[in-house]
Amino acid sequence: MSSSDTHVPNPHLAHHYETIEKQDYAVRLGMWLFLGTEVLLFAGLFLGYTVYRHFYHEAFHEASRHLDLWAGATNTVVLITSSLSVALAYDAIKRGKTKRCAALLIFTIACALAFLVIKGIEYSHKFQEGALPGKWYHYAEVTAPGANLYYTVYFLTTGLHAFHVIVGMSILIWLLSRVLRGHFSESYYVPVELGGLYWHLVDLVWIFLFPLLYLI
Amino acid sequence: MAHETSDSPAAKDEHHPHGVGRYWLVWALLLVFTATTVITGRMDLGGANIFIALLIATIKATLVVLFFMHMTEAPGANRLVFVVSLVFSIVLMIGVFGDLWTRNPMSLPSGAPTTEAPER
Amino acid sequence: MSQPSQLHENKPPVYPAVNYLNADRGVWSWLTTIDHKRIGVMYLISVMIAFLLGGIFAMALRVELLTPGPTIMGANTYNRMFTLHGVVMIFLFMIPAIPGVFGNFCLPLMLGAKDVAFPKLNLLSLYLYWTGATLVLAGMVMGGTDTGWTFYTPYSTTTPTTLFPVLLGIFILGFSSIVTGLNFIVTIHTLRAPGMGWMRMQLFVWAIYATSIIQVLATPVIGLTVLLVGIEKVGGFGLFDATRGGDPVLFEHMFWFYSHPAVYIMVLPAMGVVSEAIAAFSRKNIFGYKMIAYSSLGIAFVGFFAWGHHLFVSGQSPFNDGAFAVISMLVGVFTAIKVFNWVATLYRGAIAVKTPLIYICGFLFFIVFGGMTGIAVATVSLDVHWHDTYFVIAHFHFIMVGAVIMAFLIAVHYWFPKMFGRMYHEGWGMVAASLIVLGFNATFIPQFLLGNAGMPRRYYMYPERFQALNVASTAGASLLAFGFVIILIYLIYALVRGEVAGDNPWDSRGYEWMTTSPPPKHNFDETPIITKDPHSYQEPGEEVEHVVI
Repeated sequence: MSSSDTHVPNPHLAHHYETIEKQDYAVRLGMWLFLGTEVLLFAGLFLGYTVYRHFYHEAFHEASRHLDLWAGATNTVVLITSSLSVALAYDAIKRGKTKRCAALLIFTIACALAFLVIKGIEYSHKFQEGALPGKWYHYAEVTAPGANLYYTVYFLTTGLHAFHVIVGMSILIWLLSRVLRGHFSESYYVPVELGGLYWHLVDLVWIFLFPLLYLI
Repeated sequence: MAHETSDSPAAKDEHHPHGVGRYWLVWALLLVFTATTVITGRMDLGGANIFIALLIATIKATLVVLFFMHMTEAPGANRLVFVVSLVFSIVLMIGVFGDLWTRNPMSLPSGAPTTEAPER
Repeated sequence: MSQPSQLHENKPPVYPAVNYLNADRGVWSWLTTIDHKRIGVMYLISVMIAFLLGGIFAMALRVELLTPGPTIMGANTYNRMFTLHGVVMIFLFMIPAIPGVFGNFCLPLMLGAKDVAFPKLNLLSLYLYWTGATLVLAGMVMGGTDTGWTFYTPYSTTTPTTLFPVLLGIFILGFSSIVTGLNFIVTIHTLRAPGMGWMRMQLFVWAIYATSIIQVLATPVIGLTVLLVGIEKVGGFGLFDATRGGDPVLFEHMFWFYSHPAVYIMVLPAMGVVSEAIAAFSRKNIFGYKMIAYSSLGIAFVGFFAWGHHLFVSGQSPFNDGAFAVISMLVGVFTAIKVFNWVATLYRGAIAVKTPLIYICGFLFFIVFGGMTGIAVATVSLDVHWHDTYFVIAHFHFIMVGAVIMAFLIAVHYWFPKMFGRMYHEGWGMVAASLIVLGFNATFIPQFLLGNAGMPRRYYMYPERFQALNVASTAGASLLAFGFVIILIYLIYALVRGEVAGDNPWDSRGYEWMTTSPPPKHNFDETPIITKDPHSYQEPGEEVEHVVI
């Protein structure tokens, strides 16, 4: 760290922080607080899932058997791998390896796209089958009472999650553009760290969504 | 790929307390657990299915949070924030389920007709 | 920081020629500012406009209720009026007011910091507030919604009235609240001046900290909930619709999971203000500093476990009813701790009988009375009769108006000289304060009686026998309104022609007073080093100094 160069002000240090260490600490705490709000946001939807599973466990069990397991499993592997690549990207920029970081970010973004494509294909199948939420439901294969609410919960949770995938992807693209323009180095990389944290959260939500929707 | 500074994935110094090896290991574990949950998910284990699925999901999530998100090295405040948000998510669920589990069965919106005689 | 009493210096008060108000000129400099003080001032103007609007709706309601039948409006208009009164008052005023205005203005000053942790995010929270507020008002102009501010399903998902702008506005206001809370938490963790450990922070800071925790944790749930209502209205997804297998009570659980802690978002900063003001106006070390600080955290924590008391008659199981009833009562313990400590601070203090003190007395009475009626409605067997009657309305207005708005007025009067460097006219201040305390009692005590006698809330018409009390309540409301108008007038006058206040007219020991009034743009000429306990008027063993401020 450049703590010995106290007379050369760090260009990234804001005027109201004493040291860059304090600023980095503050920024990380802010990010974790934001992640906390995202946890509470999804908690409401997980609540919806558990409540309606409680009411309609037969329909939920049956309907989950009709989801495309391989699509879901593939998406899980895709997201886990993208989590790895973004963690490696962060490690790379910490070591000043800009090109490696950029490549890894590109890979992560590609994974995000792949996830969305697979999800999109799944959704289109559902539209064709009539496996739709609430009053739109007309899927003949699952007739247990409450099946329509299964798909309500399915579309709401995966929809909100997909929205976060898109947001996360946008953040990663923005970070990539900054990496390519040389904004980051081994002495300044905190935004990459924060973007990575957001991406990991997206992965975390899916880690729970996958078994709850596809497996049980 | 440019070889700028020490390239070894196991390179350690004060700013890089660990190498990248642990990321790959966590990734491999996550894949193993994913395969496990897919297999056990499609087996019929009765009531244990949900428990096992959630247990595996929790283990995977813990790995991601601890290692990918560097929670092992994070200051206490950040850890507290995350844990507290989880705790209150659970509070929300417990509060609602306290209601659902103790309601009169006839006042649940399940579509199936009740075959129990009403109380009283 | 040892600060000799300003009262012993015979210097005339000075108005600093260059301060945060005039440091940069032009509207654009205000709209793009990252100075927390300017953001606080802009919040002040905004919330006062919101309060004025919500107050006009309230007066319209009260005038309508002068007669048992239709008075000045039709039934549908009445429904929209009380909905918008609730939405505007709660989301556009009560939630953002004290944190947005005084949290923003005072927090960095109290910490000895130059700004909040994320100044640009701070500006964003103001813009989010303006956007959300505009949307809600647009919804009002487009006809407004008639669901009540609680948006209970299935009516809210089937009402033909204009729901979306209001819901979207609330959603965006939620983000503003989250951003503010997040900013304050990080500020308190990272920007305290050297020497300021957690136990040397002022009590307003503790209050803001506890409030911010609630804002960050609870607001996402209401965000999700209003989003789901919107989706339900358009999509018919059935999540809260019994005809499609959904559970309307689930909506209530989710809604109140935020909306109950939300009342603590409103009341905790108010209590923080009162702690500051009581110390200053009794010129005495605060009694029980630690207990007041911890009780703020206690309220924030326990407040999250109490939401089910809003569902007592909604079909929630009796078991849950009982559990939530007991927990709700526990919150009263923390408030009682605070009241005890406040009164103990006042006891044998050098009481300065100024305008803020009238409000302090009002506050203490109203929070005890309102709090006790809260314990009363938390009793399930009683609430079965009082739910959805004016008893509940009187209870929460005692807290929201009697406690929180009194505290907002304390904050305005206490920090007005700090923010603007000028003093308001003390005589008119006392007049307005008396009117408000009196008017408040006249407005809401009849409502307890009305509710207990069985008058339902949100009802457009009522039986003849309730008219006398309704008329009394409206008369009280007029007094209240009159009091607020007087305040507005003399404060605006003071802004332009008020006496120069000087750095610390109250001789308060808050750190925000250790810089000029108004403060310079950068807050402190030198970063303060904190060496004393907060609110420190006497050294151990010293007597209270009886002086006139």
